Amino acid sequence: MKLLMVDVGEGRYAVPADAVTKIVDPALETGFHLEECEAVFGGERLPLFDLHAAAGERRGPAPVYLLLQGARRRGVVAVDGAESIREVSPGDIAPLPAFIFAQPRRAFRGVFPDGAGSRLLLDEDALL
Amino acid sequence: MSVRADDRLIGFHLGGAGAALPLALVREVTDRPRVVRVPGTHPFVSGVALRGGVALPVYDLRRFESLWSGRDRTGPLGWSADADRLIVCDWGEIPLGLLGAGVDLVVEGGEEEEGMRCVMSGDFVKRVLRVHGETVALLDTDRLFASLGVPAAELRGRRETGEDDPAGG
Repeated sequence: MKLLMVDVGEGRYAVPADAVTKIVDPALETGFHLEECEAVFGGERLPLFDLHAAAGERRGPAPVYLLLQGARRRGVVAVDGAESIREVSPGDIAPLPAFIFAQPRRAFRGVFPDGAGSRLLLDEDALL
Repeated sequence: MSVRADDRLIGFHLGGAGAALPLALVREVTDRPRVVRVPGTHPFVSGVALRGGVALPVYDLRRFESLWSGRDRTGPLGWSADADRLIVCDWGEIPLGLLGAGVDLVVEGGEEEEGMRCVMSGDFVKRVLRVHGETVALLDTDRLFASLGVPAAELRGRRETGEDDPAGG
Protein backbone atom coordinates (compact mmCIF):
# COMPACT_ATOMS: atom_id res chain seq x y z
CA MET A 1 0.00 0.00 0.00
CA LYS A 2 1.14 3.54 -0.71
CA LEU A 3 1.83 5.55 2.41
CA LEU A 4 2.55 9.22 2.87
CA MET A 5 5.34 9.67 5.41
CA VAL A 6 4.79 12.64 7.70
CA ASP A 7 6.45 14.32 10.69
CA VAL A 8 4.54 15.46 13.74
CA GLY A 9 6.97 16.93 16.24
CA GLU A 10 9.28 14.10 17.25
CA GLY A 11 6.85 11.55 15.85
CA ARG A 12 7.24 9.83 12.51
CA TYR A 13 3.93 8.65 11.13
CA ALA A 14 2.42 7.36 7.92
CA VAL A 15 -0.94 8.02 6.35
CA PRO A 16 -2.53 5.84 3.65
CA ALA A 17 -1.99 7.89 0.52
CA ASP A 18 -5.44 6.93 -0.78
CA ALA A 19 -7.01 8.72 2.18
CA VAL A 20 -5.20 12.00 1.51
CA THR A 21 -7.28 14.08 -0.86
CA LYS A 22 -5.17 17.21 -0.56
CA ILE A 23 -2.12 18.61 1.21
CA VAL A 24 -2.88 22.17 2.14
CA ASP A 25 -0.25 24.81 2.76
CA PRO A 26 -2.19 27.59 4.49
CA ALA A 27 0.30 30.17 3.23
CA LEU A 28 -0.68 29.36 -0.32
CA GLU A 29 -4.33 28.33 0.06
CA THR A 30 -6.60 31.32 0.47
CA GLY A 31 -9.73 29.26 1.08
CA PHE A 32 -8.30 27.61 4.20
CA HIS A 33 -8.36 28.80 7.78
CA LEU A 34 -8.67 27.42 11.31
CA GLU A 35 -11.42 28.03 13.83
CA GLU A 36 -10.72 26.47 17.25
CA CYS A 37 -11.33 22.72 16.71
CA GLU A 38 -12.30 23.03 13.08
CA ALA A 39 -10.73 23.81 9.78
CA VAL A 40 -12.65 25.65 7.11
CA PHE A 41 -11.70 24.74 3.57
CA GLY A 42 -13.58 26.01 0.54
CA GLY A 43 -16.46 26.95 2.83
CA GLU A 44 -16.71 23.44 4.31
CA ARG A 45 -16.26 22.99 8.06
CA LEU A 46 -14.09 19.98 8.83
CA PRO A 47 -13.01 18.47 12.17
CA LEU A 48 -9.38 19.22 12.97
CA PHE A 49 -7.38 16.47 14.67
CA ASP A 50 -4.43 17.65 16.67
CA LEU A 51 -1.81 14.92 16.70
CA HIS A 52 0.67 17.35 18.23
CA ALA A 53 -1.48 17.62 21.33
CA ALA A 54 -2.13 13.88 21.41
CA ALA A 55 1.61 13.26 21.32
CA GLY A 56 2.36 15.99 23.85
CA GLU A 57 4.14 17.99 21.17
CA ARG A 58 3.95 21.63 20.21
CA ARG A 59 2.92 22.41 16.69
CA GLY A 60 5.78 23.54 14.49
CA PRO A 61 6.00 27.04 13.06
CA ALA A 62 4.80 26.11 9.57
CA PRO A 63 2.44 23.14 9.64
CA VAL A 64 0.75 21.79 6.58
CA TYR A 65 -2.67 20.23 6.71
CA LEU A 66 -3.76 16.90 5.31
CA LEU A 67 -7.31 16.75 4.08
CA LEU A 68 -8.34 13.16 4.78
CA GLN A 69 -11.26 11.10 3.60
CA GLY A 70 -12.27 8.48 6.15
CA ALA A 71 -14.94 5.81 5.88
CA ARG A 72 -17.62 8.10 7.28
CA ARG A 73 -16.47 11.68 6.91
CA ARG A 74 -13.69 14.03 6.02
CA GLY A 75 -11.28 15.73 8.39
CA VAL A 76 -8.03 17.62 8.65
CA VAL A 77 -4.80 16.64 10.39
CA ALA A 78 -1.97 19.10 11.00
CA VAL A 79 1.54 17.81 10.37
CA ASP A 80 4.92 19.50 10.39
CA GLY A 81 5.89 18.13 7.03
CA ALA A 82 5.19 15.48 4.41
CA GLU A 83 8.42 13.69 3.49
CA SER A 84 7.68 11.17 0.80
CA ILE A 85 5.35 8.52 -0.52
CA ARG A 86 6.49 4.92 -0.13
CA GLU A 87 5.12 1.52 -1.00
CA VAL A 88 4.91 -0.65 2.11
CA SER A 89 3.76 -4.25 2.05
CA PRO A 90 0.67 -4.79 4.23
CA GLY A 91 2.46 -7.84 5.63
CA ASP A 92 5.11 -5.56 7.10
CA ILE A 93 2.55 -3.63 9.12
CA ALA A 94 1.94 -5.08 12.58
CA PRO A 95 -1.48 -4.23 14.00
CA LEU A 96 -1.51 -2.33 17.27
CA PRO A 97 -3.44 -4.00 20.09
CA ALA A 98 -6.62 -2.05 20.82
CA PHE A 99 -6.26 -2.46 24.58
CA ILE A 100 -3.28 -0.13 24.85
CA PHE A 101 -5.40 2.88 23.92
CA ALA A 102 -7.02 5.04 26.56
CA GLN A 103 -10.02 5.88 24.38
CA PRO A 104 -12.01 3.73 21.94
CA ARG A 105 -11.30 6.18 19.13
CA ARG A 106 -7.67 5.63 18.39
CA ALA A 107 -5.42 7.51 16.05
CA PHE A 108 -3.15 4.67 14.95
CA ARG A 109 -3.68 1.14 13.74
CA GLY A 110 -0.28 -0.30 12.96
CA VAL A 111 3.47 -0.03 13.12
CA PHE A 112 6.10 -1.01 10.58
CA PRO A 113 9.90 -0.99 10.31
CA ASP A 114 11.35 2.24 9.00
CA GLY A 115 15.09 2.51 8.73
CA ALA A 116 16.63 1.90 12.13
CA GLY A 117 13.31 2.49 13.89
CA SER A 118 9.61 2.06 13.40
CA ARG A 119 6.80 4.24 12.15
CA LEU A 120 3.15 4.36 13.19
CA LEU A 121 0.33 4.10 10.66
CA LEU A 122 -2.58 6.49 11.14
CA ASP A 123 -6.05 4.95 11.41
CA GLU A 124 -8.05 7.42 9.37
CA ASP A 125 -11.27 5.43 9.64
CA ALA A 126 -11.16 5.32 13.45
CA LEU A 127 -10.07 8.92 13.67
CA LEU A 128 -12.70 10.33 11.33
CA MET B 1 13.73 -29.43 49.01
CA SER B 2 13.44 -29.57 45.26
CA VAL B 3 12.55 -26.48 43.32
CA ARG B 4 9.45 -26.80 41.16
CA ALA B 5 8.97 -24.74 38.03
CA ASP B 6 6.08 -22.90 39.63
CA ASP B 7 8.27 -21.89 42.57
CA ARG B 8 10.61 -19.97 40.37
CA LEU B 9 10.16 -16.26 39.91
CA ILE B 10 11.71 -13.50 37.90
CA GLY B 11 12.68 -10.69 40.21
CA PHE B 12 13.24 -7.16 39.02
CA HIS B 13 13.29 -3.57 40.16
CA LEU B 14 10.69 -0.92 39.44
CA GLY B 15 12.50 2.22 40.45
CA GLY B 16 13.79 1.14 43.84
CA ALA B 17 11.01 -1.31 44.59
CA GLY B 18 11.49 -5.06 44.28
CA ALA B 19 8.92 -7.01 42.30
CA ALA B 20 8.58 -10.54 41.00
CA LEU B 21 6.57 -12.51 38.47
CA PRO B 22 6.12 -16.26 38.00
CA LEU B 23 8.81 -17.49 35.66
CA ALA B 24 6.19 -19.56 33.84
CA LEU B 25 4.74 -16.36 32.35
CA VAL B 26 8.06 -15.09 31.05
CA ARG B 27 9.07 -15.85 27.49
CA GLU B 28 12.35 -13.96 27.52
CA VAL B 29 14.28 -11.12 29.06
CA THR B 30 16.12 -8.80 26.72
CA ASP B 31 17.87 -5.48 26.68
CA ARG B 32 15.43 -2.64 26.40
CA PRO B 33 14.55 -2.39 22.71
CA ARG B 34 13.69 0.71 20.75
CA VAL B 35 10.17 1.58 21.85
CA VAL B 36 7.86 3.69 19.69
CA ARG B 37 5.63 5.96 21.70
CA VAL B 38 2.00 5.77 20.59
CA PRO B 39 -0.10 8.88 21.22
CA GLY B 40 -3.45 8.23 22.86
CA THR B 41 -2.40 5.22 24.91
CA HIS B 42 -2.66 4.80 28.66
CA PRO B 43 0.03 6.72 30.55
CA PHE B 44 1.62 3.50 31.76
CA VAL B 45 2.11 2.27 28.18
CA SER B 46 5.61 3.24 27.11
CA GLY B 47 4.84 2.34 23.55
CA VAL B 48 5.29 -0.64 21.29
CA ALA B 49 8.34 -2.56 20.17
CA LEU B 50 8.39 -4.47 16.91
CA ARG B 51 9.50 -8.01 17.66
CA GLY B 52 9.23 -10.71 15.03
CA GLY B 53 6.65 -8.75 13.10
CA VAL B 54 4.45 -8.29 16.18
CA ALA B 55 3.73 -5.00 17.91
CA LEU B 56 4.64 -5.82 21.49
CA PRO B 57 3.01 -3.44 23.98
CA VAL B 58 5.59 -2.22 26.47
CA TYR B 59 4.46 -1.23 29.95
CA ASP B 60 6.25 0.93 32.49
CA LEU B 61 4.69 -0.06 35.79
CA ARG B 62 6.35 2.88 37.50
CA ARG B 63 3.72 5.01 35.77
CA PHE B 64 0.80 2.83 36.83
CA GLU B 65 -0.45 4.96 39.70
CA SER B 66 -2.82 2.35 41.11
CA LEU B 67 0.09 -0.01 41.73
CA TRP B 68 1.65 2.26 44.28
CA SER B 69 0.24 2.62 47.73
CA GLY B 70 0.90 6.33 47.95
CA ARG B 71 4.08 6.03 49.94
CA ASP B 72 7.52 6.62 48.58
CA ARG B 73 7.83 4.51 45.46
CA THR B 74 11.26 5.65 44.50
CA GLY B 75 13.10 3.46 46.98
CA PRO B 76 16.81 3.51 47.44
CA LEU B 77 17.61 3.57 43.74
CA GLY B 78 15.45 6.58 43.08
CA TRP B 79 12.71 7.17 40.56
CA SER B 80 15.17 7.84 37.81
CA ALA B 81 16.73 4.39 37.98
CA ASP B 82 16.83 3.14 34.42
CA ALA B 83 14.54 0.36 33.36
CA ASP B 84 17.11 -1.13 31.04
CA ARG B 85 15.55 -4.56 30.56
CA LEU B 86 12.40 -5.83 28.90
CA ILE B 87 10.59 -8.79 30.41
CA VAL B 88 8.49 -10.35 27.67
CA CYS B 89 5.50 -12.22 29.06
CA ASP B 90 2.96 -14.49 27.42
CA TRP B 91 -0.42 -13.70 28.87
CA GLY B 92 -2.44 -16.40 27.19
CA GLU B 93 -2.19 -15.62 23.51
CA ILE B 94 -1.11 -12.05 24.18
CA PRO B 95 2.55 -11.09 24.40
CA LEU B 96 3.41 -8.03 26.45
CA GLY B 97 6.56 -6.45 27.76
CA LEU B 98 7.34 -5.01 31.18
CA LEU B 99 10.24 -2.63 31.70
CA GLY B 100 12.44 -3.30 34.68
CA ALA B 101 15.97 -3.27 35.99
CA GLY B 102 18.12 -5.73 37.87
CA VAL B 103 16.30 -8.76 36.49
CA ASP B 104 17.27 -12.03 38.13
CA LEU B 105 15.91 -15.44 39.00
CA VAL B 106 14.34 -15.74 42.43
CA VAL B 107 13.30 -18.92 44.18
CA GLU B 108 10.15 -18.51 46.18
CA GLY B 109 9.74 -20.32 49.46
CA GLY B 110 10.38 -20.00 53.15
CA GLU B 111 11.03 -16.31 53.23
CA GLU B 112 7.52 -14.90 53.20
CA GLU B 113 6.92 -12.37 55.93
CA GLU B 114 3.66 -11.25 57.47
CA GLY B 115 2.98 -7.54 57.70
CA MET B 116 6.10 -6.56 55.82
CA ARG B 117 6.01 -3.02 54.56
CA CYS B 118 5.54 -2.88 50.82
CA VAL B 119 5.38 0.25 48.71
CA MET B 120 2.97 -1.39 46.29
CA SER B 121 -0.76 -1.57 46.72
CA GLY B 122 -1.94 -4.83 48.27
CA ASP B 123 -4.53 -5.05 45.49
CA PHE B 124 -1.82 -6.12 43.09
CA VAL B 125 0.46 -8.11 45.39
CA LYS B 126 0.00 -11.82 46.05
CA ARG B 127 2.72 -12.12 48.64
CA VAL B 128 5.54 -10.10 50.06
CA LEU B 129 8.82 -11.96 50.15
CA ARG B 130 12.18 -11.35 51.69
CA VAL B 131 14.90 -12.18 49.18
CA HIS B 132 18.54 -11.60 50.08
CA GLY B 133 17.49 -8.96 52.56
CA GLU B 134 15.31 -7.13 50.10
CA THR B 135 11.53 -6.78 50.12
CA VAL B 136 10.07 -8.23 46.93
CA ALA B 137 6.40 -8.04 45.99
CA LEU B 138 5.12 -11.06 44.08
CA LEU B 139 2.70 -9.41 41.68
CA ASP B 140 -0.84 -10.67 41.25
CA THR B 141 -0.74 -10.84 37.48
CA ASP B 142 -4.46 -11.62 37.08
CA ARG B 143 -5.40 -8.38 38.77
CA LEU B 144 -2.49 -6.36 37.51
CA PHE B 145 -2.85 -7.18 33.84
CA ALA B 146 -6.63 -6.82 34.01
CA SER B 147 -6.16 -3.34 35.47
CA LEU B 148 -3.71 -2.50 32.71
CA GLY B 149 -6.48 -3.32 30.24
CA VAL B 150 -4.89 -6.51 28.95
CA PRO B 151 -7.60 -9.02 27.96
CA ALA B 152 -7.87 -12.02 30.26
CA ALA B 153 -5.59 -14.90 29.46
CA GLU B 154 -7.17 -18.11 28.27
CA LEU B 155 -6.17 -21.18 30.22
CA ARG B 156 -4.77 -22.94 27.21
CA GLY B 157 -2.13 -20.28 26.99
CA ARG B 158 -1.11 -20.45 30.63
CA ARG B 159 0.70 -23.14 32.50
CA GLU B 160 -1.22 -24.65 35.34
CA THR B 161 0.37 -25.42 38.69
CA GLY B 162 2.34 -28.63 38.48
CA GLU B 163 2.55 -28.60 34.72
CA ASP B 164 5.90 -29.73 33.40
CA ASP B 165 8.39 -27.06 32.61
CA PRO B 166 9.52 -27.55 29.01
CA ALA B 167 12.86 -26.13 30.01
CA GLY B 168 13.30 -29.09 32.30
CA GLY B 169 12.76 -27.33 35.63
